[in-house]
Amino acid sequence: MSKVVSRRDFLNLVGAIGGTSALIQASTALGLMPGTAAASELNLQAVPANGKSAVILGAGISGLCAAYELMKSGYQVTVLEASHRAGGRVMTLRSGDLVDELGNRQYCDFDDEPHLYFNAGAARIPSTHNNVLHYCRELGVELEMFINENKAAYFQDDNLMGGKPIRNREFSTNVRGFLAELFGKLFSETELMESFSREDAETLLSVVSNFGDLDEQMRYVGSTRGGYASGGFLEHGTAHDMIAIRELINRRFMNEVLTANEGETGPMLMQPVGGMDMIIKGFLRPLGERVHYRSLVRSVQVSNDSVSVEYEQNGTTHTINADYCFNCIPSHLMTGIANNFPTDYLEAMRYIRRGEAYKAAFQAKERFWEKDGIYGGISWINAPVRQIWYPAHGIHKQKGIMLAAYDYGGGMHFTKMTQEQRLEAALAQGEKVHPEYRQYMEKGVTIAWHRMNHMLGCSARWQRDRGGWTDDEENLYHRLQQSVNGRHYFIGDQVSQHSAWQESALLSAHWALQDMDQRQRAQAGA
Amino acid sequence: MIARVKHVLILAALMLFSMQVAAQETEQEREPFDDRYCMTCHGIDGVGNFGVQAPRLAGMEPWYLERQLKLFRDGLRGKHPEDTEGLAMQPMAVLTDESITDIVAWVGTWEYKPAPATITAGDKEHGESLYQTCATCHGINAEGNESMNAPALAGQNDWYLVTQLQNFKAGYRGYRDDDVYGSQMRQMSGVLQTRQDIIDVVSYINTLRKL
Ligand SMILES: Cc1cc2nc3c(=O)[nH]c(=O)nc-3n(C[C@H](O)[C@H](O)[C@H](O)COP(=O)(O)OP(=O)(O)OC[C@H]3O[C@@H](n4cnc5c(N)ncnc54)[C@H](O)[C@@H]3O)c2cc1C
Ligand code: HEC
Ligand code: HEC
Repeated sequence: MSKVVSRRDFLNLVGAIGGTSALIQASTALGLMPGTAAASELNLQAVPANGKSAVILGAGISGLCAAYELMKSGYQVTVLEASHRAGGRVMTLRSGDLVDELGNRQYCDFDDEPHLYFNAGAARIPSTHNNVLHYCRELGVELEMFINENKAAYFQDDNLMGGKPIRNREFSTNVRGFLAELFGKLFSETELMESFSREDAETLLSVVSNFGDLDEQMRYVGSTRGGYASGGFLEHGTAHDMIAIRELINRRFMNEVLTANEGETGPMLMQPVGGMDMIIKGFLRPLGERVHYRSLVRSVQVSNDSVSVEYEQNGTTHTINADYCFNCIPSHLMTGIANNFPTDYLEAMRYIRRGEAYKAAFQAKERFWEKDGIYGGISWINAPVRQIWYPAHGIHKQKGIMLAAYDYGGGMHFTKMTQEQRLEAALAQGEKVHPEYRQYMEKGVTIAWHRMNHMLGCSARWQRDRGGWTDDEENLYHRLQQSVNGRHYFIGDQVSQHSAWQESALLSAHWALQDMDQRQRAQAGA
Repeated sequence: MIARVKHVLILAALMLFSMQVAAQETEQEREPFDDRYCMTCHGIDGVGNFGVQAPRLAGMEPWYLERQLKLFRDGLRGKHPEDTEGLAMQPMAVLTDESITDIVAWVGTWEYKPAPATITAGDKEHGESLYQTCATCHGINAEGNESMNAPALAGQNDWYLVTQLQNFKAGYRGYRDDDVYGSQMRQMSGVLQTRQDIIDVVSYINTLRKL
């Protein structure tokens, strides 16, 4: 039996001093909102130049970060990367690039111009991701703002308003009006005064009224905040008709839309100028020849004082022995590579499942959306493509690259399609928002992460149930985070409890480096 | 009129020429790729990979390997909407005959090591009695029998054998009459009535060695 909270109780709770801040603290503890912290301080003990060695498996951002930090501390480092490129899930596509999706290899045919690129994997940097930002600063990666929410962008749902797209500002104004009116209907001023002072009650009601742009009777009768149907500058503007919001918010799709700009994807977000892989290039510059491409790791054998790695490059097998090994190869691929890891470690690796995210993009012949008043941001479509993104960079240039689909998991809808089917689906669904969409679109690319060579997934899925991590899952995770013999470390966002973010990948590398450092210091002290 | 036609012809010839040059140039610059990508999923040297549910290929009979690749390519296997793993493999086999020949030879160079047993809890005695039917085609030691068109089962990843037996039973594999051998095996899967039967027979197969 759950305890029913009366309206009176509820008001007392809300009215109690500190009520809301207590709530915020509680939610941080529950891990709902990542707590803010400074960039983690790495203070690795320097070793005599090339006195110790490390081999890094996979040139994902975590591997490159580990290699870079170790190099700075005097280690001899070698990075082995199976693919023709570095960066893993940090992948920016430009003119001529190979999309190594197995069963659907493509070359990206965008025009060759600096603003015509597509971030096919990571695309957004939240301002709370201190370590990503720290490396951008240190590596000289120039940043610009990324626009996630744009009040001029659209929402479209075939089952609402005859499928007519509506602007975000119209939608959100109506939602606010509706919620505010609801509040006004629930609590009268007299009722509120039982828990608040008269002054507080008045303030509260005026805030609510302002929030929803209500009239004196606390009714929502439409608002010009949703934009004008006509006029507005030389003549008075007339507001749009109200929309049947009850119908609107009673849908899962809208639920998703309403939370899309909160938390980690809330403002401000950033992106590197010229593509997300500018961060990767930043790491690669100092690492130089230490990174070996098309080098497929075949075997990892850990002993008490070293790690032996066998890899294949251009048909020849090589072996490297190193003091340490940092490994960001996706766990579901590592299970197919020879190793002598302990059984509980293997069990953890076998437990993790892989996600299915999918993205598509077109080059647009003309930035038609800017003529429609849209500069950056996302339109939402209640269809498999889910979102279309308008580039905020390259404003008023001739062409632009537009994200045409982003299915961030929970199905293989697009993955199963042929390239032609994928592109056609993206066009047909984009047309729901912009009737002229198809005529402007050229040169499409699609990326099904579930099938990308040497990756085969968009991110690690530790949780089997939505309810939270089970004790078993916690144990398996903590086991995988530990080293094997203090010599081999698994890294990458797969070894974090918040996968699918570069920040987690970097922090996993830091965790491993610090653990190694502590062991070394302890040894030196002993 | 004639002059104009000539003009157009020269123009067309010129365009063709410049297109060829362009194609050559881009081909040179472009990152090459080939069809030998099987290890990403099937593990290094085809040892099998649980993480991707892709079975061992090392040591596989060349005739069986080739047949399966062609079945996948032609959509006779891996097209049923419920066959999750088959659907993952199917587009990987959209290859030319030459490529298939190359791959079969390449896979043939991988050293065979029996896959480690992970399913051992079944009733092996019951499994053994169930296996008597299977032995007619797959051999007493599950070593396979080319004349019966039946591949080796010993040494294969046991989790994969379980998926296949379930898929045959459910009609996700061997669903088409023109898949002669698959549909034959689909009928034989009727011998295994329950999931426990499948676990039992696979536990028994795990005790067999092909060489
Ligand atoms: C669609 C999508 C959207 C995303 N959006 C964002 C975002 O907006 N912001 C954000 O911060 N993050 C985002 N992420 C997450 C971010 O991309 C990842 O968290 C991060 O890139 C993971 O880095 P990693 O170090 O774990 O390695 P990975 O990128 O997983 O790299 C692993 C490397 O190992 C290599 N490898 C594999 N097998 C072998 C082998 N046998 N031998 C040698 N090398 C091998 C691979 O080729 C690869 O380079 C997104 C990811 C995806 C897929
Ligand atoms: C994207 C991952 C992936 C790639 C790449 C891949 N496979 Fe597969 N393959 C699978 C999966 C998963 C299965 C299991 C299908 C099932 O359970 O029915 C499979 C099954 C097979 C089978 C059937 C085995 C049997 O015993 O019947 C063969 C043969 C095969 N693959 C060969 C290949 C070859 C050769 C290549 C390289 C050209 C390749 N595969 C590339 C994932 C892949
Ligand atoms: C009449 C002959 C016959 C009998 C009896 C038979 N099989 Fe098969 N089996 C086959 C053939 C033929 C194939 C290959 C199908 C194909 O090529 O797609 C096969 C395939 C299989 C496969 C798939 C192997 C792989 O690598 O994908 C499994 C598993 C299997 N059989 C198990 C059994 C078991 C268990 C039994 C007993 C219950 C059994 N079979 C009885 C003929 C038979």
